[in-house]
Amino acid sequence: MPLTALEIYKYLPKTNCKDCKFPTCLAFSMALAQKKASLSDCPHVSEDGKAALEGASAPPIRLESIGTGERRVEIGGETVLFRHELTFFHPTALAVEVSDTLDEAALARAGEDIRGLSFERVGMTIGVNLVAVRCQSGDPARYASAVAALRKSAGLPFVLIGRTPAAVEPALKVLKGERPLIFAADRDTLDAMCALAKAHDALLAVTAESLDELAALTPRAAAAGVTDLVLGFEGRSLGRTLQDLSICRRAALKKAFRPLGYPLAVVASDADPFAEAAAAATCVAKYAGIVVVQGRSPAEILAILTARQNIFTDPQKPIQVKPGVYAIGEATEKSPVLVTTNFSLTYYNVAGDVEASRVPSWILVVDTEGTSVLTAFASDKLNADKVTAMLKDGAGIASKVAHRKIVIPGLVAAMSAKLKDASGWEVMVGPRESSGIPKFLKSMPAG
Amino acid sequence: MRDCVVRFLPDGKEARVPLGATLLSAAEAVDVYVNSVCGGDGLCGKCRLIVRDGEVRSRPTALLDRDEIRRGYVLACESQVQSDLTVEIPPETRLTGKPAFTGEEALRFGRVTPLRKGRAYAFDPLSVKLFLALPTANMADNLSDLDRVYREVSSRRSDPVMQAGLSTIRMLSPLLREGDFAVTVTLGQRGKTVEMVQFEPGDTSERNCGVAVDIGTTTIVANLVDLASGEVISRQATYNSQIRFGEDIITRILYAEEEPDGLEKLHESVVKDANDLINAMVEESGVSLHDVTYVVAAGNTTMIHVLLGLPVANIRREPYIPTASSVPVIRAAEAGLSINGRGLLCCLPGVGPFVGSDVTADVVCAGMHESAELSLLFDLGTNGEVVLGNSDWLICCSASAGPAFEGGGLRCGIRATDGAIERVAVNAAGKLVYKVIGSSKPRGICGSGLIDLAAELFKSGLLDKAGRFVRERENSRLREGEAGPEFVVVPAEKTATGRDITISEEDLEIFIRSKGAIYTAAEALLSRVGSSFAEVAHAYISGGFGNYVDVGNALAIGLLPDLPLERFHFIGNGSLNGARMCLASREALAATEEVAARMTYFDLSTDPKFMGDFTSSLFLPHTDLDRFPSVARMLRRPPAGTTGGSSPRTGKGGAR
Repeated sequence: MPLTALEIYKYLPKTNCKDCKFPTCLAFSMALAQKKASLSDCPHVSEDGKAALEGASAPPIRLESIGTGERRVEIGGETVLFRHELTFFHPTALAVEVSDTLDEAALARAGEDIRGLSFERVGMTIGVNLVAVRCQSGDPARYASAVAALRKSAGLPFVLIGRTPAAVEPALKVLKGERPLIFAADRDTLDAMCALAKAHDALLAVTAESLDELAALTPRAAAAGVTDLVLGFEGRSLGRTLQDLSICRRAALKKAFRPLGYPLAVVASDADPFAEAAAAATCVAKYAGIVVVQGRSPAEILAILTARQNIFTDPQKPIQVKPGVYAIGEATEKSPVLVTTNFSLTYYNVAGDVEASRVPSWILVVDTEGTSVLTAFASDKLNADKVTAMLKDGAGIASKVAHRKIVIPGLVAAMSAKLKDASGWEVMVGPRESSGIPKFLKSMPAG
Repeated sequence: MRDCVVRFLPDGKEARVPLGATLLSAAEAVDVYVNSVCGGDGLCGKCRLIVRDGEVRSRPTALLDRDEIRRGYVLACESQVQSDLTVEIPPETRLTGKPAFTGEEALRFGRVTPLRKGRAYAFDPLSVKLFLALPTANMADNLSDLDRVYREVSSRRSDPVMQAGLSTIRMLSPLLREGDFAVTVTLGQRGKTVEMVQFEPGDTSERNCGVAVDIGTTTIVANLVDLASGEVISRQATYNSQIRFGEDIITRILYAEEEPDGLEKLHESVVKDANDLINAMVEESGVSLHDVTYVVAAGNTTMIHVLLGLPVANIRREPYIPTASSVPVIRAAEAGLSINGRGLLCCLPGVGPFVGSDVTADVVCAGMHESAELSLLFDLGTNGEVVLGNSDWLICCSASAGPAFEGGGLRCGIRATDGAIERVAVNAAGKLVYKVIGSSKPRGICGSGLIDLAAELFKSGLLDKAGRFVRERENSRLREGEAGPEFVVVPAEKTATGRDITISEEDLEIFIRSKGAIYTAAEALLSRVGSSFAEVAHAYISGGFGNYVDVGNALAIGLLPDLPLERFHFIGNGSLNGARMCLASREALAATEEVAARMTYFDLSTDPKFMGDFTSSLFLPHTDLDRFPSVARMLRRPPAGTTGGSSPRTGKGGAR
């Protein structure tokens, strides 16, 4: 079990010296328990305390990286089972699999395809992170040349899918200094694969028939000096995969079980693109650090990437609506204008209630850094000046309506006089709760 | 522009104001008290007046119903004077209770004997008068006058550093010779040093008093303490008259920022309140104001800022920085307090912008900082606070409960004063009975009454888990009101206002949010440090209103956690009691300073789990009944009675 804040507190000096930038030792231990601070921030912790805490404060799931430079991907390092408990930190890396049996032209096309799998979505660029090359030919030389070809065209870090040391070694030489992932070592090849991983600074995946066996293999690798590991899963049913991934994550987080405390890599490849996308999305949601697919169609890949983007959104940051003017229904120049904040929950409540009123209206959304009406008002993020600025420029509401009347939330009625003076608009005080909007709009005189 | 004359009934006071002035400003101009909690924003609906004669122009409002408008009711802040007028101030709008409370009323806000688990602090007041019969100076003993005083004082006390003002030293030489070297020195604590505050001829050591004052957002309570004996010799309380500038802290901060001289007005208002209380206490006990030499004040950070006239604007803006959490001892006169002109003022240290010295005082009063057992403290005020900890560590958070517990925000809510229903129960016959404060007919329901009411309605099955009325239950008191379904607590003919006292689902929603905020704050502190309610050995309830809470009912609705009842303790007004303890003991002050320094502030707004936990708490008692096993057991039993029934023959008494 990870230590609680109070258990950590016992080992701290309790001087409240503030050298760690936290106001008290208790505040620091709470941050440590949440993995939001590092023990090294405390210069005064005793050696005994360090020994006791370092074990406990080591991440329950190791953070690993593949590739170098700009394209480097970090996986693992997660601290919670469910996103709402805190957040997920490192989005699942998506790998697209290519076989070494393809001819030169097909390989080049595959590389081009993969390079093109990058999309703009809600203001963010999302794309494939890794290229996985499968040693299907059984010929190490051919495998190495396929890797060399893709290295130029795809321009992404590599997953080398090959089950024998002999198969992957030449490819590793091609990728010298690029930190690929070897997928994967098993019971029989572990020692030799460990030697390869060490020699070529590669990340190593370990697979086994059962989790028990897997849990026995990782300490062996660690004893051989290889601790940069991922747990590999291939060739089992989706149900079984989901179960195994969940057990690994739970054991690592809830029981601090180190042998399974590594990122998880799943080969979800399936000839049916729909089944493959469903399997990949499942593994993205439930704990995979790397998912390998074989489909290269943008339709399939975008679906998986969208699922990933949603899962790895930080729930601690309030979801915000873009500030501006929104029309609800067939709003015209006579429609009323209602002000609200850009906290999405607030906005959608208001929008829903306006819609329910069946009175076409404009909603003017003010940027309050994602806070609700009263919170924004209390902390001065919603005030007369901000609304006035919205009325005067940018949003363009002035040209959308012929009247000069604005409805503000009842909870901020206090700013009505100031808003009227600053903006010159007539200010009407709306209901205090959004649920009162339908009644309010229906009883409003037209125009 | 022509002036109009507004005559206010029943007093008959007349105000001359320009045409178009609001009735509220007319009332303010001649010091006629009109209830107004939103400060004139047209929001609270408390400034109801009845126009008897003349003409006003009123803005439309949803806070008056058609019938009331027909009968001449207007809102003072929304109505402009259009002619000479006669207006009546109905009972619900008048200042309720006397401006200052004594006796039982003061007790209500400041119970005197705290139930304290910790040890008593040694009596060692912050201000001491020492009578010094000094040996007369002669050639053999030729120390200077001041050194002579030092020598004597040092032989009786061990104060490392002593200071004195020049004006005090100037007095010394003639004073010593007039009184044959018999002099009384007043020693006042100033941080780590002691000041010789004044010299008086002869022995006045028995005549030394101090004031402990709690400056709450809603009430201000003071004790006059005889510093020679440690006895409380007078106690007074009043409503914070800043309420007219806004009911809650944020509205007042806004007022300070945006109105011309806003901060000065707030400052003058609180200083006047405090001085009125001091004067009343001095008068009552026959003490001379000159003999009041020390004031200890506790209160939330904003109130203390306003008392000292410090700017408050930054308290509400990120990153929420007050001018000071802990202020050095100053001369009371500098803040405008009228006691002895050289008397001192110590504002107890607070923790941060949202946890002030009222909370550090609570902790010291409860003694939780000295106990190895885990304790939880609930300060149930307009700004609720929760503290968790023991002798090793302390953590606190502020839970914005809103004004519901002080009677704000709800249609039927009023403060705990004359005419407030403070107790509600279902008697053996299944009837709803209630108890009213004072002897008048009820005007509304205060916090403790609301808790009882919600609990009784819930226990009797009239309210469901979500706080909705169960309409399948035939009940003559349940009806469809303007704001949705509502329950008639007291019918119009039995109230002081002639209006039904009702509680609606909307009211209950606000109330449930308030209770949920408190519970979730405690839950958050426990879970973030890795503990649980089961480990809590003591739960202290503080706050003027806290005294009157029925713990069983508070637990039934999920305001307080489901702990064995014997673990709950009331500490009364911990802020006042803590201030008084510090006034009477330097050791207590040192403990308060230590508590303020080591208390960790936990900001709920940055906590990712808070919103989810809070939402789960918005039920009676909670969405997870496993957390309230005793309530779950009670719910499995059939409800005791039908509540209300067809003949509403309920009345005062019997509910306690």
